[in-house]
Amino acid sequence: MEKFNLSTSRLNALIKHLMTRGIVYAPHKNGEVSFSFDEVRDPGKVILNYNRTLQSIKKYFLPPREQLLSFSLKSGSLSKVEPENPLRIFLGVHSYDMQAVLRLDYNFSQGNPELNYLKRRQNSLFIGVSFEPDTYHFSRSVGIMVEEFDGFDLFLDKHSSGYTLYVVTQAGEELLSGFDHLEEAPDRPATHREFRNKIKYNFNRLSEVFDHAWDSSVWEEIAQRCVGCGTCNLVCPTCYCFDVEDDVNLSLADGSRYRSWDGCMLNSFAKVAGGENFRADLSDRQRHRVYRKFKYITDVTGEPWCVGCGRCTAYCTAGISIVETVNRLCEEYEQTVLRKPLAKQDWVL
Amino acid sequence: MKSDQIKPNKPKIAFFDFTSCEGCQLNKLNLENELPDILRHVELVEFREAMDDKADYYDIAFIEGSLSTPSCINRIHDIRRRSNILVALGACATIGGINSMKNLQPIETVRETVYGEEKYRFPTLPAIPVSAVVKVDYEIRGCPMSIPEFLRVLKALLMGKAPNLPDSAVCVECKLRENECLYDRGIVCLGPVTVGGCEAICPSFGQFCTGCRGLVPNPNKDAMLDILTQHGLSLEDAQKRFLLFNSYNIESKSIT
Repeated sequence: MEKFNLSTSRLNALIKHLMTRGIVYAPHKNGEVSFSFDEVRDPGKVILNYNRTLQSIKKYFLPPREQLLSFSLKSGSLSKVEPENPLRIFLGVHSYDMQAVLRLDYNFSQGNPELNYLKRRQNSLFIGVSFEPDTYHFSRSVGIMVEEFDGFDLFLDKHSSGYTLYVVTQAGEELLSGFDHLEEAPDRPATHREFRNKIKYNFNRLSEVFDHAWDSSVWEEIAQRCVGCGTCNLVCPTCYCFDVEDDVNLSLADGSRYRSWDGCMLNSFAKVAGGENFRADLSDRQRHRVYRKFKYITDVTGEPWCVGCGRCTAYCTAGISIVETVNRLCEEYEQTVLRKPLAKQDWVL
Repeated sequence: MKSDQIKPNKPKIAFFDFTSCEGCQLNKLNLENELPDILRHVELVEFREAMDDKADYYDIAFIEGSLSTPSCINRIHDIRRRSNILVALGACATIGGINSMKNLQPIETVRETVYGEEKYRFPTLPAIPVSAVVKVDYEIRGCPMSIPEFLRVLKALLMGKAPNLPDSAVCVECKLRENECLYDRGIVCLGPVTVGGCEAICPSFGQFCTGCRGLVPNPNKDAMLDILTQHGLSLEDAQKRFLLFNSYNIESKSIT
């Protein structure tokens, strides 16, 4: 794989170069302590050294709210709103968020393909950046290393005196054409990053743990601390549930159909006609949420659907931690099913 | 006039105020751009703030304010009897609102404090939401009530549909707007347990949620008190946060 040296001082020049190729989105400061992906207008405002953005880049492919149709009740006609797909370059994406996009690609291409999502996904190029894991990151525990290149076209690995720019795909190489004076980077030892496994078992054993977790008391215990605000769903990069609603304008003759993000932690999510709510209790909703990340889809694809970004935990005002939840289930599994702790080599990578 | 603009038997709508600042009703007079369209679809038959007319029957009655005197109770029964659909407007009508803070003290003490020697001329009751006395078909929450939500409910009713009103927390709308969480700035907020639909307007401008839209269904109040106290409020201050708008809910279900 080709790799180049990129000094921190040339970063802005690279961003300017990218801006001549397409619309560039990158992390910016949002508020006092938070970050979000926004369109780059001033390369100087881009922040590549960030812990996590409030929302992942999912928002560009599955917008929080989008118009699907417009309709006329008088003529009974409707017209679909076609999403636009200009060339978009996502700069400064962490590996777990890239992996989340690849998981959504799977979800939205199965069965009836989700055309709006897939259309927006076309013409997207991704430039990864390494990160220093903080308290909440645990992507390594779900098999995603900081330097995971899968999905990226280019990757920026930060080291003490700048970046190593890896060219991962042909598209990535083409993106660099015209950006001169790049010098080949020497082989250097991989940057050491302190990133412990935080989940007790290797992720490929978790499906087994979840086979025995349905009746655990853990669900009731976390439900006692949970207020059901839905934040964990709405910041999750692999949550994709949505609700669809029609709205008419004041003429009462024309209107639009909208889709917006929904979440299984919300009270009315599982409410059906007749008023029945088949997951009325917060404990049932918490269980469903965590099973969606570690069991249901995982049993089909072999991969955890949690990418270890830590958002659900970092943004939970009640301090409910998904890592703690999973570890509690692992411990219960040891005590009630295995009746002895697993030998250490079984779970330490 | 085009034929589709002639609507015989337009629904009769009316607005009524009880114990309130009347801000929710005034809000509607601010709908200058929409009023001509609205009036194409409805016949406004009673609206004390805007006209003198009275009517005997209402297809839709909009009620602002909480009920806080014996005469309020008689009047709301009378309106309900003469209305097909009754919609409560704003915090006072839907959850009791700020008025219901008076319920935290003995009613005689409140009466004496407010009216002094004249108190015998002013009978008073604890302030309660409209739904505590009569059947309320739909509720438009907020202090003041949200105009977009009012329009959504009105349009749905005119189309003969049940309005789709949110019951999820303000947090949902903060997340959809990608607002920085106020808790991350060290500010405590009632957003996690307050019904959204306001587009998270207060947190979007850096102001914590005071809970004016009422608590979500089956609120986990103990967990919310834990959140507030873990983020620096004393238990007493945390309870006061709830009581500002939600005294009726809290008092009548006694969690404090």
